[in-house]
Amino acid sequence: MAAPEVHHLFHNPIADHSFSADRKTLAIARDTTVELYGKVGSAFKLKDELKGHDKTVTSVDIAPNSGRIVSCSQDRNALVWEPSPQGVYKPTLVLLRINRAATFVRWSPSETKFAVGSGDRVIAVCYFEEENDWWVSKHLKKPIRSTITTVAWHPNSVLLAAGSTDAHARVFSSFIKGVDARPDPGVWGERLPFNTVCGEYMNNSAGWVHAVAFSPSGDALAFAAHDSSITVVYPSGPDLPPKAIISISTQLLPFMSLIWNGEAEIIAAGYDCEAFRFKGGVQGWQLSGTLEAKGRPGLGEGREESALNMFKQMDLKGKTKDDTQLKTVHQNTITTLRPFESSGAAVKKFSSSGVDGRIVIWHT
Amino acid sequence: MSIIQQHTAASLSDAWRTINIDALEEDSSVNFDTSTLHPALPEISEADVRQINTQVRQLLRGGDAEGALRGSLEMPVYNGSDLAKETHLHTVIEVLQSIKASEMTPMLQRIYGTPGGSECLDVLMKYLYKGMAATSAADGSSSAPRTPTRMTPQQTGFSQVGGRPGGANESTGGAMSVLLSWHEKVVEVAGLGCIGRCMTDWRKV
Repeated sequence: MAAPEVHHLFHNPIADHSFSADRKTLAIARDTTVELYGKVGSAFKLKDELKGHDKTVTSVDIAPNSGRIVSCSQDRNALVWEPSPQGVYKPTLVLLRINRAATFVRWSPSETKFAVGSGDRVIAVCYFEEENDWWVSKHLKKPIRSTITTVAWHPNSVLLAAGSTDAHARVFSSFIKGVDARPDPGVWGERLPFNTVCGEYMNNSAGWVHAVAFSPSGDALAFAAHDSSITVVYPSGPDLPPKAIISISTQLLPFMSLIWNGEAEIIAAGYDCEAFRFKGGVQGWQLSGTLEAKGRPGLGEGREESALNMFKQMDLKGKTKDDTQLKTVHQNTITTLRPFESSGAAVKKFSSSGVDGRIVIWHT
Repeated sequence: MSIIQQHTAASLSDAWRTINIDALEEDSSVNFDTSTLHPALPEISEADVRQINTQVRQLLRGGDAEGALRGSLEMPVYNGSDLAKETHLHTVIEVLQSIKASEMTPMLQRIYGTPGGSECLDVLMKYLYKGMAATSAADGSSSAPRTPTRMTPQQTGFSQVGGRPGGANESTGGAMSVLLSWHEKVVEVAGLGCIGRCMTDWRKV
């Protein structure tokens, strides 16, 4: 396995990151701005700052085809940044109509809509209204009881999964007439008017849901919760109980983000500062190991210790080993995982970002 | 007094910040019974708890400590009266105290390896924390009224002249040390995830 590519951008937490389709531009949510980094050689250099929010930016997403960037913030606003041919971004405010912080935003695969999760117990599904030249929103409200922490889109751009602090992962229809094509009936339902609840799931111990993701086919849903578990749901059809709900409790700390790699593998990462692989299918899932290459050189044990150095360390710090570094690549919680390079449903490379200000590109 | 002064006085005060605006909104979480979010659990009566207690004691007498531990953990009292919960806690602690330190880790590993074993250890962890809370509370309540009334330094237990602290104190200390060594062993087997699950779980023992 090739070594991961590490970019240490700064010493601040990265709330969210997103790469452009050509992987040459990287958008980072840092404090109240969205920073754009461009690839120069093998490194990422700061090239633009998008200033428009006046509170912490919580999430950012680049639409791969149109190049539009959407960002949302604790100031209760979402902005769509439209690129101009000169490379300047022009912000447009979105009418979210929420009274609490916006927590999470993702473009639909069709790029005509995006969903904003919020602390106001609603998900604002936003779309562009031609006649008013304005981004407007419709609210998914029932039966959400608490803050939405995360959302994920189904490949058909109509179904939306959302995780919440009321310990439920839910699947909604976000069908908007005139914007979406009528979806084909599938395992989640046949007729899907707006705000249809297609599924509502929780695991046994009911931790907060941190991450949700549809499998590449869209026929299975995985979610990670604060009880250090991931749960995979295989629905069997509308109004029928699901074929299987598989919950794996781990010995690890909770996961903050997860992605599917094909239909039989999930990669999850979180408070343990490293990514883990799960393998399985409808019969069952298990944790198959970490993606971190153990015992990499240059991390303490490989370094030669001279006697002088040893006594110097003992004198300065009262110990011989410098144990201030974690043995993982990330030095703090990983908050976001995203696919970086895919072929079909399989992910060849994925990127991770976290509280330590690093962006790491991993080979699966 | 001018209008301007009144205005500044009002805006300087922070009182408006303490208004609980959530209470004014009808569908906010304060006006909502959060226990309806999850399905109700079967209620376990005191008679059931006593029955488990006798079964577990029989297993213990028969020398099947692992069976007794599993038996006591497989039906935790999530929904029941305080007395039922208390009785079951005593059953679990009784089992824990009867198992030798050298047998703890192999037994936990065997339980963890079986289907549903991870859930069992989560339940065990919940009882460990409940046990610690109970013993330290009992300790605190017995010493609390003593401290302000008797001011003699000998009574604190730290003085060498006063000798060892009282017998009641000693037994809670013993129970605590059993719970602590179990806690250590459970974390070794079930990981930190087990502690996290205890804290997040809405099913309290």
